[in-house]
Amino acid sequence: MDRSMHSDQHLRVSDAEREAVAGRLAEHFAVGRLDQAEFDDRVGRAMSAKTRGDLSELFAGLSEAGAPAVPALPRESGGSAEGGPRGPGSPIEFRLDAASGVPTYLQLVQQVEHALRLGYLKSGDQLPKVRDVVASLAINPNTVLKAYRELEIKGLAAGRPGQGTFVQASLGQVALPELAGLHKSLLGWLTTAEAAGLDEDGIVALFTSALRDFYKGRGGTGDRRGGAGGETEGVA
Amino acid sequence: MSMNVIETSGLSKRYGSTWALHECALAIPAGHVAALVGPNGAGKTTLLNLAVGMLAPTTGTIEVLGGRPAGSPAALDGIAFVAQDTPLYKNLSAADMLHLTRNLNHRFDQAYAQARLAELGIPLKRKTGKLSGGQQAQLALTLALARRPRLLLLDEPVAMLDPVARHDFMATVLTAMADEGVSVVLSSHVLAELERVADYLILLSRGRVQVAGEVDDLLASHLVLTGPAAEAGRYAERPVVHVRRGEAQAHLLVRASADDPVPPGWEAHPVGLEELVLAYLREPHAAALPGPARGRALPFEIGEPTEVTR
Repeated sequence: MDRSMHSDQHLRVSDAEREAVAGRLAEHFAVGRLDQAEFDDRVGRAMSAKTRGDLSELFAGLSEAGAPAVPALPRESGGSAEGGPRGPGSPIEFRLDAASGVPTYLQLVQQVEHALRLGYLKSGDQLPKVRDVVASLAINPNTVLKAYRELEIKGLAAGRPGQGTFVQASLGQVALPELAGLHKSLLGWLTTAEAAGLDEDGIVALFTSALRDFYKGRGGTGDRRGGAGGETEGVA
Repeated sequence: MSMNVIETSGLSKRYGSTWALHECALAIPAGHVAALVGPNGAGKTTLLNLAVGMLAPTTGTIEVLGGRPAGSPAALDGIAFVAQDTPLYKNLSAADMLHLTRNLNHRFDQAYAQARLAELGIPLKRKTGKLSGGQQAQLALTLALARRPRLLLLDEPVAMLDPVARHDFMATVLTAMADEGVSVVLSSHVLAELERVADYLILLSRGRVQVAGEVDDLLASHLVLTGPAAEAGRYAERPVVHVRRGEAQAHLLVRASADDPVPPGWEAHPVGLEELVLAYLREPHAAALPGPARGRALPFEIGEPTEVTR
């Protein structure tokens, strides 16, 4: 697996590699870089690909900084993370959306959860150092500490004295093909909603209210914004 | 950490017949960025000047850094203050300012100051008056931080700066907080940026403390209720801070927590810092202060109970 990515384009690929590529495509689809038709087409081509070169082509126009076009087989979690060659930094960088109305600490929490779900963060990875976040975003250090405390309470991260905060668990991950399926059925629902006369804002309002009712109906105590419901504000 | 960086009791300051500050009771805990907010003339600058001892109170007391009388040598030792409009000698070079500040202070971290100015790319030979607004602000801040203060006071630090300079200035302040545990009290007009910077709020209005408390506590104890205007009167018994009413619909900013029941037909929304501040600024007679609520329906607790000012 350590061979250079560039000289092996003629090598024949295994089913495992085809599956891995389909998974990556589903990821791109899930975040909206591919539409349904393009996704179906590329997955079809992945399944019939013969060489690594064939697989590389499937990522045309989907370049992502730092990600190899054709991934090596998934790395073992925890394997290379500790003291590995990754360097002192964290795999992720935070950003802030001032217009979102979501409290700053919650934005950080959600971005970590999002990165976990999409595989940018794995168990053992270091979260950005508090000082670095403060320096780059000009936010209050207490806000970063609060976000990391919240992640610790959720069992997703743990502080190591003198070192920083590290990812401890992976988020109850939904398999990528399943994620793509959910995305697809949501698209179907959206089509129905639009046909019924709802515009984008109407759809957002309806979805938000249904989501709130859904989690409230589950008896709000305890895990008030647990797991996949992390995006909802726990306000009744 | 239970120390208060500023503590006042019955603090008043009168200029002629005008009370710039009147009967202020404050206890700002260490470890925060506390924002002093209020309209022009509310008393923000007066309060900061009293805290560094540049003014003396008309009545009442003010102490800093856990009981040191404001203006005493022990107090000044731990405080750095950057006044409004960037206090630099405009005809001196940055290098001269550095030299001057080092010689006027018995503690001055020359290595920090030089490294910081190099990092910022501030030309040392240039007269400070010829530096950009952002560079002047950063120079004044660097000189203040090189004194290694426990408490940094900033009066309208970013009012004159462009967005990038503002961001960089606040990043320097907050990094000092992360690295050295410096507590910060700043006055500001820029409401929109407060939310990411301040975690403690003091709202001054007409010389009085109108709101004081940790931002999280303040936000958690206020809600916006939206519902039919005809029913808005139903909330007469609730601690309503501010009402915005249309013909059919009304928004009420109330003191209540997310756990309080919301009546059918009404929707509750969390409130943002800016919205909260604006609502209080528009209602100078409403108050949210630590200690017992003044005969209102809901208890309102923030930190240590202290004297109620009004």
